[in-house]
Amino acid sequence: MRHVWVVFTIAALCTATGTARAQTVDDGIMLAKGTLFAGQIYAHDDWDEYWEGELKRDNGNIGTLTTQSNHWFGNYAVTSRLNVMGSVPYVWTRASQGVLHEMHGVQDLTLAGKYSFWEVPASPIGFIKAIGVLSAGLPLGDYTPDFQPLSIGSAARRLTARGTFNVQTAAGWFVNGTTGYTWRGHVTLDRPYYFTMGQLFFTDEVSMPDIADLGVSSGYNKHGLMAQGQITVQRTKGGGDIRRQDMPFVSNRMNFSKAGGLVMYEIPKLGGLAALYSIAHTFEGRNVGLATSMSAGLTYRIRLFSKVNP
Amino acid sequence: MSAPRIASTLTLVALLASPAFAANDETAGTWQMVVLTGPTQIQVAPPLSTGSPDYQAELTAIKSAQSRLTKEQRRNVDYWSKGGVVRWTEILLELVARADLPPAPAADGSYPAPDANNPFADPRFPFANPPYAARAYSYVAAAQADALKAAWYYKYLYNRPGPSVVDSGVKALVATSGLPSYPSEDAVVSGVTAELLKLLFPADVELITRKAGEQRLAALHAGKAAASDIAAGLALGQAVATVFSARAGADGMRTAAGSPAIWAAMAASATARGEVPWRSMETPARPPMLAMFGSVRTWLMTTTDVANERPVAPPPTSSAQMQRELAEVKAAVDGLTREQLAIVYKWADGASTPTPPGHWNIIALPYIEAAKWSEVRVARALALLNMTMHDSAVVCWDTKFAYFNPRPSQLDPEIRTVIGLPNFPSYMSGHSTFSAAAAQVLAYLFPSGAAYFEEQMEEAAISRLYGGIHYRSDIEIGKNVGRRVGGYAVSFARIDGADR
Repeated sequence: MRHVWVVFTIAALCTATGTARAQTVDDGIMLAKGTLFAGQIYAHDDWDEYWEGELKRDNGNIGTLTTQSNHWFGNYAVTSRLNVMGSVPYVWTRASQGVLHEMHGVQDLTLAGKYSFWEVPASPIGFIKAIGVLSAGLPLGDYTPDFQPLSIGSAARRLTARGTFNVQTAAGWFVNGTTGYTWRGHVTLDRPYYFTMGQLFFTDEVSMPDIADLGVSSGYNKHGLMAQGQITVQRTKGGGDIRRQDMPFVSNRMNFSKAGGLVMYEIPKLGGLAALYSIAHTFEGRNVGLATSMSAGLTYRIRLFSKVNP
Repeated sequence: MSAPRIASTLTLVALLASPAFAANDETAGTWQMVVLTGPTQIQVAPPLSTGSPDYQAELTAIKSAQSRLTKEQRRNVDYWSKGGVVRWTEILLELVARADLPPAPAADGSYPAPDANNPFADPRFPFANPPYAARAYSYVAAAQADALKAAWYYKYLYNRPGPSVVDSGVKALVATSGLPSYPSEDAVVSGVTAELLKLLFPADVELITRKAGEQRLAALHAGKAAASDIAAGLALGQAVATVFSARAGADGMRTAAGSPAIWAAMAASATARGEVPWRSMETPARPPMLAMFGSVRTWLMTTTDVANERPVAPPPTSSAQMQRELAEVKAAVDGLTREQLAIVYKWADGASTPTPPGHWNIIALPYIEAAKWSEVRVARALALLNMTMHDSAVVCWDTKFAYFNPRPSQLDPEIRTVIGLPNFPSYMSGHSTFSAAAAQVLAYLFPSGAAYFEEQMEEAAISRLYGGIHYRSDIEIGKNVGRRVGGYAVSFARIDGADR
């Protein structure tokens, strides 16, 4: 359940909210050439209700399911139109009730290239950008995907194509829209059969449905302060529902809508050091937890090469 | 290793391993039966002569159908050409997996029981947990075997050749073996299986009925059986199912759930012996799974045998040995290697699976298919395998509820499990018992696979300690008892007439 956003968000900043600031895959911000932006984010997510298919319920054998993660990320601007980024999280999961064992480990490496292919710096409504992103996710840790909802991820390789449209006024107000489509590779289980979607499959290979996502955010971004609100929607293009009173299965149809906000502030006189905090709440879903997520972190921006203006 | 690779390796092994028998097993009509008193308990009337106008009309109907065969009908012929008993085993594995879901708790914390008379409700009937599944597999397999032995008796009594032999205008779309076609073995299997499955999995009646019809149609379209072969086979299969259904109605399953008074008495008995009694670790607490399944009728053991095979008591819950075993479980589950974790999940066989007895059917199928045996010998093999696993379930459940021993997580709440914790007493391990019995029988049937079955059995057994749900005593004793239970099936196999 927690891997719902791991699946489609890419940079570490996105973890808790789905859309965030500061040079993530799905925002409209591009770093200036030669800039490195890196940091560490702690994210905390919990739910005590979830959707078993479309049925909202609690589960006395889980209580509250908590997922914590620590993300290390780095973005580098090859040019001001091409940024490359990578991130790796370490994830912990635990259930407050019942007897199920906690899980933890290194999850998936994400690598992305972000290219701003159309820019209008001085239109009547502001600075307009259209951005394309290609990103890939590669499971790093050899964790099991077969212990949902406590598995730390889905253990699927992923490829995401994303388009983002961004408008920012001279006064600092902005609107950002982003949509992505994710293809996932087969997941290999440790067992020779599994049952999903009404069928018993005599293989260890699980076909994973594609995922589409859509995000809209709006806010203010100037003078080292950024504040925004956003809505994120994910739709999985296939997969079965969690069966009645069953554990979730890795290829379940995981859908959700979340609303949240983010604040980021570049601390004056500390030369590029910034703090961020974000929060999001799931208000609609299927086969996911009714989760509240927060994240907090420190980021650092440094111009490695001072020759500017690409 | 991916599943297809596993399967192809197994197939290779099985090809080398399978003992050769006379292809058609002409004497199978004399093999010892399990429930039927003999092949003539159910009468099959002599067929019309192949020269009669009615039979000739049946041949004409086959030729006509073959000349207009659709792609879908051809696919259906190919599907069933793998063997009816094997196909039904695959279907049954899926029915079990679909029905292997524990009831969800009601708002008041109670657990509604599945109702055979209202199978589509929530919870659906049945909850195909491991004992239920073991019993279901065994009824289907044993009934198929007895029905086919009877069919073989009449086949060689009447010796009516197959349609494609009588009339060269009838195409043989699947390989023919010269097996007499009256009564049709495919129709026998369809009839006996469908009738039993409708009782065992009533919510799947539509699928079951459709598959049975398709199997009979495939026999006709393939040129294997004429309408009268099929009619006689269907009637024989259904009549055998009636005999087995009567047995199932009186085998103790109806009362296997027990009652609150019985569960309380079991706990009180453990307390009186100075032991910590088992309790459900679920929230809300769930009644134990089939507390009286140990009283369900067995196939190859007498009630005295079941009583004799109940092992000695587990280490007392307060003993130093139990403390050591508890510590071993905690150390194991908190320090699992990735390989150990893979073993746990390979053998988890929990909710939404064919259960541990189903897993052993999945292991057996490639060997059985590769052996290229007659349908009756295939049925006998699966009957031996599944009857011994049912008997294992009975002996294991008898032991579990006699001692009512707590799970590791109950004695030490710090022990967390990496699979769902089964909701019934710990001693002894069901997976170990099933697996040891199954490995014993499969090693008898496929001697050169013995080492592989033994290795799988050991892995299945230890997976329960790695998973955090069983002590070492549960596993070791479970294996010992399982081997002994398997021995009853092997003893039967040695004298049933098939291997002489």
